[in-house]
Amino acid sequence: MSITFYHQHVLVAKLTLYPHEALCEQLQWARDFMNRHFAEDINLEAIASKACLSKFHFIRVFKSLYGCTPHQYLTEIRITRAKQLLQQGHNIASACYLTGFDSISSFKGLFKRYTGNTPASFTRQQQVPPVACYLPFGFALQKSNFRDSW
Amino acid sequence: MVDDQDKALEFYTHVLGFVTKRNIPMGEHKWLTVVAASEQDGMELVLEPMGFAPAKVYQQALFEAGIPAAAFLVNNVQQEYERLQKAGVVFSMPPTKMGPATITVFNDTCGNNIQLFEV
Repeated sequence: MSITFYHQHVLVAKLTLYPHEALCEQLQWARDFMNRHFAEDINLEAIASKACLSKFHFIRVFKSLYGCTPHQYLTEIRITRAKQLLQQGHNIASACYLTGFDSISSFKGLFKRYTGNTPASFTRQQQVPPVACYLPFGFALQKSNFRDSW
Repeated sequence: MVDDQDKALEFYTHVLGFVTKRNIPMGEHKWLTVVAASEQDGMELVLEPMGFAPAKVYQQALFEAGIPAAAFLVNNVQQEYERLQKAGVVFSMPPTKMGPATITVFNDTCGNNIQLFEV
């Protein structure tokens, strides 16, 4: 297989941007740990220990690799799971505690910050049936009109 | 953009595993979109017919350079690579680790390179 221009650039980027493959792997262990245990009461010390790094070094390299702090990452996966639970019909308190948050008020604030919606309005949106059938080029037919045109 | 919508639909649904969302006849072409099977209310991928000569030149240049036209997140790049290779898909870049990501690129048979990535 001849190597493409894009493939060459990927290999160069790999060598110049990510020279420490072992360190990347250590961070992935920590990230996998968060993915598996986000619903539990896990703290930074436990997460950093999975990467075999000190807390401060861990935060620094995690952010440089993933573009967010470990805490932001953990919050994001908790909120993603909470959204799924709300969609499945769980109430707000249940979605909050089943995803590792320990206070409903902080859960509501973080949910709004990460999704742009409060948990209550997100839940309401899930219950509203779609009212229009959208067609390309900006045409939208109301469901009733659509039915009448049959 | 795809050079043949029927061929693209076949590839994106039967080989990649997308699901047809809209297939609305529009004269010579159609408004054709597919969605991920696991998120059918999610984002739609338009399989837009190639009907503009300058775009064709641009698409061809990207293709020859191996540059992806779209990238899809998957859970396991290596697994997808093996599955698609068995289905006859041609890859221009095997799974390659790059920092926190693993990426691979294949030919969608309709004029585009598609990248799969795992982070």
